[in-house]
Amino acid sequence: MKSQLVLIIFWIFASDVCDTICQLLLKFCINSLGWHIDSIKKALQLTFELAKIPVAWLGLMFSIFSLFIWLFVLTRSDLNFAFSADSMRYILIAVASTAVLKEKIGFMRWAGIGTVVCGITLVALG
Amino acid sequence: MLRKTHITFKILLFLISIDLLETFVQFCFKKTALANSSFEVKTLEGITHFITGVAISPFLWLALASVLLIFIIWSTILSKIDLSVAVAVNSFSFITIPLVSVVFLHERISLLRWLGIFIILIGVVLVSLSSKPKEYQP
Repeated sequence: MKSQLVLIIFWIFASDVCDTICQLLLKFCINSLGWHIDSIKKALQLTFELAKIPVAWLGLMFSIFSLFIWLFVLTRSDLNFAFSADSMRYILIAVASTAVLKEKIGFMRWAGIGTVVCGITLVALG
Repeated sequence: MLRKTHITFKILLFLISIDLLETFVQFCFKKTALANSSFEVKTLEGITHFITGVAISPFLWLALASVLLIFIIWSTILSKIDLSVAVAVNSFSFITIPLVSVVFLHERISLLRWLGIFIILIGVVLVSLSSKPKEYQP
């Protein structure tokens, strides 16, 4: 039972790593275009522009990996537990945003992310 | 030129719509998974059966159509605020998804888990307050 739980958490982690890579690649592409989006029409245009960038497709590939791993997790776990454990992506994305995208994360934001993670831990224990 | 990077009402509406769509997506994913949970994914044949079974599920395609919509809205949001903020505020779905799990999937949620959900909300508010205006280079 315990090893089953560890295995599920491992696969959720794998799904989150793929998702984090996807998010970073997407943000990198959007930053490289340097667009200021102020309407849905422009967002659609941005989507078409993104489709011309190979890195965005690489991001999509990681997104597909993440999806299939996630569907596998859901065959073995309750939705509310899996989605709660999925919060480990908050740490992954915060660290990746700082390290790769050079986004600044202040004390309050770290405190917020920490609080979210504490909440998720309680959710998992419950 | 100064661009506002704090969360405006418009961005908040975008984030809420993403949360609701995300909840719908996860419900569809769970339905897809339930329909394909009998497959053993320890062998290559099992994995192939699983992927095939999943790929022909109407719930999956409904979910993917919603994901496309989320992607468009998400692209808009990411161009306005930091990724770490957008992702954290997006966690309102931590409330809507358990609610859907209880009502439609008949899963059980303890008091401790609801307490955890409430603490998540506090964290979300902290993250939202941490976003400040910054210089924008067009």
